[in-house]
Amino acid sequence: MTNPSRSPRLRSADSPALLALAAAGLFVAALDAYVVVAALLPMLTAAQVPVNHLERATPVVTGFLLGYLAVMPIAGPLSDRFGRLRVFAIFLVAFALGSLVTATASSLSQIVAGRVLQGAGGGALVPVVLALVADLYTGRSRATALGAVSGLQEVGSVLGPLWGGVLAATSQGGWRWIFWINVLFAGGLLWALWPGIRQRPVGVTAAPLDGIGALLAALALALLTLALYAQDPEHSPVGSGFWWQAPAAVVLLILFVWRERRAPAPLIDVRHFRDTGFTGAALVNGLAGAGLMVALVFIPVLAESPVFSMNPRQAALLLLRLMLGIPVGALLGGLVAGRLRSNRGIAAIGMLIAAFAFAMLAGWGQDALRPHFLGTPLRIADVELFAAGLGLGLEIAPVSAALLDLVSEAERGAGAAFLIVMRLCGMLVGFSAVAGFGLYHFNRVTAQLTPPLFSLRPDYGLRLAQYELQLRQAIFDEYHTIFTIAAALVLCGALIAAATLRPPRSSL
Amino acid sequence: MSVLRRLRRRRMALGVVSLLCLLAGGCGSPPPDAAALLRQTSAHMNAVRGFHFTLAIQGAPPAAIPVQSAEGDAHPPDLTTRVELAQNGVLLEVNVIVLGSHVYLKSFTGGWQELTPAEVAQFFDVHALFDPTRGLFSAMAKTTQVTRGGQQTLNGHPTWTVSGRLEAAQVHDLLSVARSEGSYQTTYWIEPPATLWRATLSGRLFDPTLEATITFDFSKHDQPVTITAPPLG
Repeated sequence: MTNPSRSPRLRSADSPALLALAAAGLFVAALDAYVVVAALLPMLTAAQVPVNHLERATPVVTGFLLGYLAVMPIAGPLSDRFGRLRVFAIFLVAFALGSLVTATASSLSQIVAGRVLQGAGGGALVPVVLALVADLYTGRSRATALGAVSGLQEVGSVLGPLWGGVLAATSQGGWRWIFWINVLFAGGLLWALWPGIRQRPVGVTAAPLDGIGALLAALALALLTLALYAQDPEHSPVGSGFWWQAPAAVVLLILFVWRERRAPAPLIDVRHFRDTGFTGAALVNGLAGAGLMVALVFIPVLAESPVFSMNPRQAALLLLRLMLGIPVGALLGGLVAGRLRSNRGIAAIGMLIAAFAFAMLAGWGQDALRPHFLGTPLRIADVELFAAGLGLGLEIAPVSAALLDLVSEAERGAGAAFLIVMRLCGMLVGFSAVAGFGLYHFNRVTAQLTPPLFSLRPDYGLRLAQYELQLRQAIFDEYHTIFTIAAALVLCGALIAAATLRPPRSSL
Repeated sequence: MSVLRRLRRRRMALGVVSLLCLLAGGCGSPPPDAAALLRQTSAHMNAVRGFHFTLAIQGAPPAAIPVQSAEGDAHPPDLTTRVELAQNGVLLEVNVIVLGSHVYLKSFTGGWQELTPAEVAQFFDVHALFDPTRGLFSAMAKTTQVTRGGQQTLNGHPTWTVSGRLEAAQVHDLLSVARSEGSYQTTYWIEPPATLWRATLSGRLFDPTLEATITFDFSKHDQPVTITAPPLG
């Protein structure tokens, strides 16, 4: 084995070094998944999107997730066929291109286009690296290894908002650095991996790829996202074309299932869904994703809104409490579920903790971020945020293990990708629906609330203060609705986990 | 006699110009007379019954001039527009409809409200903007020191640029927040015979120490625009 310290560049198919480099790519892609949440408002200002029309920003979040989801089902099988590293490299280039487009954006449409491409690039890296892990580990150690990789990915996610927030807070155009750094990093990583990429991949299989299935699934999701996108939340919590887009998405989904039953190499063996353990794990993962995405976007937006008036760095630091809980929970969940041989219990407890924390978050008011009266430096808000993250982290490993135990060795790559697909579907659909409903609710509450016109009359100041007070109340009202829905979704996840998940299969 | 001589002189001038054109490798059409082009464009634009416009302000002190940009459709003197305002570093959008003597506003939150003339007057006279006698297009005709610039393709349209100066007092009449001393630099992008695509106004418009620029873009000339009163409340 060559000594990797001799040169940063890879000399041979040295698997730990290879895994480390691939994991570094995964880390940056994960960093990027949530990097915009705290930087969203400065990005929108640069793209001339007014804060009283946040609905226009929805595609910045959903576009990335859609890109991610469109490639994820095919990335696993593609890497089975063409070699993990080569597929990894191609999508890393797409990720870098998307970053370049976003970094140089002056309009909202360019930001969205860049984010879709970034999502498509970054999304492929995750299943490829997970499949690499699944190649190397089996049984109980796989649960631990997956927990560790999920943990690493979650560390990336944890630092993502903070990274984005800190860079965005440096200057008015600071957020552009987020994406310039990606370009540089991807270039360096490609250089280091180049010898490995050039090497002929081993152990590849030549099964045909179900492109039609992938296309049907991607189209169904794109239509559903469009259907749920509330462009005009003043009048409707869903999109204007909902009445035809939603049924069309369902039809495409049915076609997808039909196709998967007949395809020689289906993306996912739909017969697995007859197994309640499998369907349950998929649903829990999706519901956890929905809860997480809602928290990820709306906590920073609330923090940066006029009610708390934080800058992106402060908002990211607030969110960090939640983000820190996730990897702690993920590692803990992986270890404890393996040790206690209970996927069901740990996952259900995790979701229950998260649901409770979300319900508490829904009750935030103006005093939520004031120091606690007991005189401790810790606020209740900190505990609530950490608990939400911890709960959502706890379920990751047991739910993953419960599902992966039900698929064959050959399907591991696809199974790992499917888990993340379900999580992201939950994020995409959950976020779209909750955002639309939340904004609609806000518009309903403020329908009669008009700011006073500037005047030199003595009562102007008083009327303005009254308006601001009512506006704050309306904003809290909106967040109450949003987090109550999220809590209900996560609670459903807890019930499903308790009812369906299976204990780990006895290992070697 | 003098008419004949003038004609002959003009013909000679045309000959020289076409010779120059040939020497320069040929140009599509002879360059128009700048002042005449401005007058024709002013008259033509005042007669256009519907168009789309965008407005962008650069270099204005944000505390005094919160307006960053605006975009809308006009059917002079009526218009509908959304206006982006910067307040404490964040961007907010309001919508404005001008219909006859009525002015409607949809602010950051809440529905449409009708403004009283007194309320309108404390901002600026929106009726004046595209008014045929005192509005933007009639100000064009009052441009002094007119010089013709080069040919430019603007968003796919072949235009001539024409520059000149506008009296600050004139601008101040139209836009009361603008300073009224001295004069401002102005440039027009005109597609012959008389289509105005862009107009810019620059100088120390709002602050005696700050250079600022206002850019107007016009498109969809003579596109039918119907403006209706919004539902109040």
